[in-house]
Amino acid sequence: MRSLALMRVLGVLVAGALAALTLAACNRGGDSAAAKPVVALVVKTLNNPFFIEMEAGAREVADSLGYELLVQAPEREIDVERQMQIVENLIQRRVSVLALVPNGSRELVPAVVKANGADIPVVIVDTRLDAATLSAAGGRIATFVGSDNVDGGRLAGRFLVEALPSGGQIAVLEGIPGHETGDARLTGFREALASAPSLRIVASQTANWERDQAFTVTQNLLQAHPDLEALFACNDVMALGAVEAIAAAGRTDRIRVVGFDAQDDAQQAIREGRMAATIAQNPRAMGRLAVLSAARLLAGDTLPAEQPVPISLVK
Amino acid sequence: MRWWRRRETGTMVGLLLLCVALFIATPYFATVDNLRNVAEQSTVIGTLAIGMTFVIIAGGIDLSVGSVVALSGVVLAMTLRAGTGAAIAVALALLVGAATGAVNGALVTIGRLPPFIATLGTMSVARGLALLLADGRPISGFPDGLRALATARWFGLPVSVMVMLGLFAIAQLVLTRTVLGRFTFAIGGNAEAARLAGIPVRGYTTGTYVIAGVSAALCATLLLARLNSAQPIAGIGYELDAIAAVVIGGTSLLGGSGSVLGTLLGALLMSVLRNGLNLLGVSSYIQQIAIGTVIVSAVLVDMALQRRLRHTPS
Repeated sequence: MRSLALMRVLGVLVAGALAALTLAACNRGGDSAAAKPVVALVVKTLNNPFFIEMEAGAREVADSLGYELLVQAPEREIDVERQMQIVENLIQRRVSVLALVPNGSRELVPAVVKANGADIPVVIVDTRLDAATLSAAGGRIATFVGSDNVDGGRLAGRFLVEALPSGGQIAVLEGIPGHETGDARLTGFREALASAPSLRIVASQTANWERDQAFTVTQNLLQAHPDLEALFACNDVMALGAVEAIAAAGRTDRIRVVGFDAQDDAQQAIREGRMAATIAQNPRAMGRLAVLSAARLLAGDTLPAEQPVPISLVK
Repeated sequence: MRWWRRRETGTMVGLLLLCVALFIATPYFATVDNLRNVAEQSTVIGTLAIGMTFVIIAGGIDLSVGSVVALSGVVLAMTLRAGTGAAIAVALALLVGAATGAVNGALVTIGRLPPFIATLGTMSVARGLALLLADGRPISGFPDGLRALATARWFGLPVSVMVMLGLFAIAQLVLTRTVLGRFTFAIGGNAEAARLAGIPVRGYTTGTYVIAGVSAALCATLLLARLNSAQPIAGIGYELDAIAAVVIGGTSLLGGSGSVLGTLLGALLMSVLRNGLNLLGVSSYIQQIAIGTVIVSAVLVDMALQRRLRHTPS
């Protein structure tokens, strides 16, 4: 019986040792770099090429400045609490600057307030925090780096207004409800469409930013709306899911799909005629500007409250 | 029972070992502030896993708890916004949790559905209800009454940690010192034998699901206090984290054996691991590999132990 308990102890020892080894392996070089400024970039998820591009941009600048860059994200984009935990842990890690793409415009405010309390400057990237919630909680951010998503939505809307002069039915795939980016894109899109009453949004449903959900939702929309002329998805990941569903239904030639983010896959789909257009946000530039902002903050500069990153239509 | 035979010993040793490894690997781990931070972070899954422990010991499983976190959280937020006091709002949320637990229990005991199927169904229904009630959006902007749960401290310890430890203490007492606890083990060990011995199996099985529902509502309360918002999409995947904490803590998925103390250690171990990986700046991809490895190792050991137990006279 003693060997039995021993076995259990041993087993967990092995698990612990494995974990410790992983840690040690990953930490190599971390200690020698202890004197370098450490910039943390916390993104929404690393399942989306948009954030991988952002990471690449941030890394370019961090490498050239000799900074250490920590990039972290929750496993699931919807896991707001996990993103908050990551921020809390990085505060404990005493990073020099925190760059954050918040998963929730209000929900991450307490985390930002904690960073304020630890005197870690916060750069918000891509997705805005809710200004009223932030000021009510007494939080402050050093700067916002990102594109105007309302503008991007307008660009997408105007493109469809011009592409469909005689009007038609449009379906919309929304992001996670309550996400500032998706909401802003929709606001701009609807605004642009308001000038063309012959264009009608016949369905507007969420696919939670995900490709497989977009596929299913679009399949259902195609069943319900046989005369659909166009589909606007609030990001390319969903647009590409929709493109697949439309292709499976054999309606690629009749439905114009407009996405958002200008990912490589989406640009490829545009070249092949499977997708009509997308909005280029340039996440790489956002990543670069985020780390450059961090450098200026560390040098004692005061930054403008908003640092816009240009946005354009790709078709 | 000798200490080395206790099921929690392995988890405890694993946890200590991990702490030592982190202490060596990073200067940021063993600070008062960080340990407080880790303890706070373990409260959400820890609280949720209490109820899961009861269900699993009784031989069941509850996949709906993540959705119930969302549903009871939305109810809590809406009630708070309506201007009732925090006490009434929390009571209503607990009621919602208990009710979904009762439905799960009824489906399993009266409907004779396998727990996996029954709770898979309620998982979807509860999620849909949460989305419907909240119109798909996060709910925020209520009085600060509950925020104290996430911000206040008693004698240096965060209130949320005190609350969680209190709940674990109660659960430990219930499981080891009451009829409910003894019957839970008996049902999980052999439901048929328990029935023949005159134990009201249906009632007590349902009881474990009600405890799981109430745990989910308590978890929702802590979550709302932390984020100052309730989201209808909150808690997706939490059921798996809770099951992982229970299993790492040495409770057998086959039912009939386990402990809430082990679950507390399991929840702490997961939090410490995630915290450490963040502190070390380990890539998010490798973090998932590390967490998966720890879960699988813990279950492997547990299964080996189960086999030995059945074949070795003690």
